[in-house]
Amino acid sequence: MKYADWPLSAPVNITWEITRHCNLKCIHCLSDSSVESPCELTFNECRGIVDQLAALKVFEINFGGGEPLLKDYFLPLLRYIHEKGIVTCVSTNGTVLNSETVRFFSGNPLVNVQVSLDGATPEVNDAIRGEGTFRKIISGIGLLYGKDIPLSVNTVVTSLNYHQLDRLKEMAASYGARLRVSRFRPSGRARQSWEALKLEPAQLQELSSWLSGDPSILTGDSFFSISQDGRRQLGLDMCGAARMTACIDPAGDVYPCAFMQSDEFRGGSLREKSFKDIWNNAPAFLRFRRLEPSACRSCPRFDKCRGGCPAVAYFLTRDLDSPDPECLMSWNPEATGAG
Amino acid sequence: MPFRLADGVQVRRESWGLLFYRQPQHKLSFVRSGDWLQPAHFDGTWTLETIADDVSRRTGAPPETLARALPRLASRLLKNGVISDEIR
Repeated sequence: MKYADWPLSAPVNITWEITRHCNLKCIHCLSDSSVESPCELTFNECRGIVDQLAALKVFEINFGGGEPLLKDYFLPLLRYIHEKGIVTCVSTNGTVLNSETVRFFSGNPLVNVQVSLDGATPEVNDAIRGEGTFRKIISGIGLLYGKDIPLSVNTVVTSLNYHQLDRLKEMAASYGARLRVSRFRPSGRARQSWEALKLEPAQLQELSSWLSGDPSILTGDSFFSISQDGRRQLGLDMCGAARMTACIDPAGDVYPCAFMQSDEFRGGSLREKSFKDIWNNAPAFLRFRRLEPSACRSCPRFDKCRGGCPAVAYFLTRDLDSPDPECLMSWNPEATGAG
Repeated sequence: MPFRLADGVQVRRESWGLLFYRQPQHKLSFVRSGDWLQPAHFDGTWTLETIADDVSRRTGAPPETLARALPRLASRLLKNGVISDEIR
């Protein structure tokens, strides 16, 4: 049995989408963010949720959205979370950072910051994140640089930017940051941009080799379907949804993963149930823990990846029992290094 | 010699043992110790000998098994930066 299969009393980390409000309108946004949702949690409700997560000893909360820094109570909420000793990671688009925020982050041992940048040039980044955003993002990263803030630059890898990954890594390093690459998945607005931005098999193979050759690149999420065996030692190598992680949306609904925010995967509302109850008993969570695509069971790598990312499979086929369509094994088994 | 959690490390109890989280690396360490070990054993006041005594008293585990297992575990956790023998 893999470590990730050992039943946990609570998630290791939570993805918390604190608002749908965003000043950008990126064409690949996983949550289709733009304006604030009408039913977003109040500060007091958030504090109650934090109390629950602290009691369960959740180690880490990763904030995204929307743009979390646009939430009026975001810094006070972070302060409250830090009083509980919980580590936080703030994913920001980098365009609304100001001196107050940077001062708050600076030297804070419980803060990690991740800035999204989707190209090493304005032409590529702005085609995805919007006109003029490259300049604003670089300016935001500049504000964070040298301020004793653990910093990473996150790039969602698409057909537009995959050829710039080396340059993005160099840019990140020039600001004392590491490059983190995330997988492009067809949820939210990415469902509309999927065909235009998805990587072709040859590009996926190139990406797989590039990742394999550079262990310094962070891969925070589900590249395990294209990970070669050497890279598998570097971190979680199977889907952690409902096993090690969960997602809270701006209204307090809980899902197994940020990419699976549709009604059929909703575990419950924190306005009605406790987090512990949802984690332990929600049918959607129990279903995810048993998930093993039948088509993958005879694969020699099945014990290593358990079928890859269910979000990609589900949104492309509407069938959770389907294998990850971008799995390396399906089009180049030799490249996996599985021998 | 007492052990404590290394800086930036947190631990919680699970049904199968202890789950350690190392903040600097965002990494986990799983220790399948069942009921033997408690998070409090790594608060800096317990030695391997006092942990062994406590486990033996609570669970009836044979002292000779503990005398073999605990030093090996401590060595692994020390090597991985999960615990520290440095006094703060």
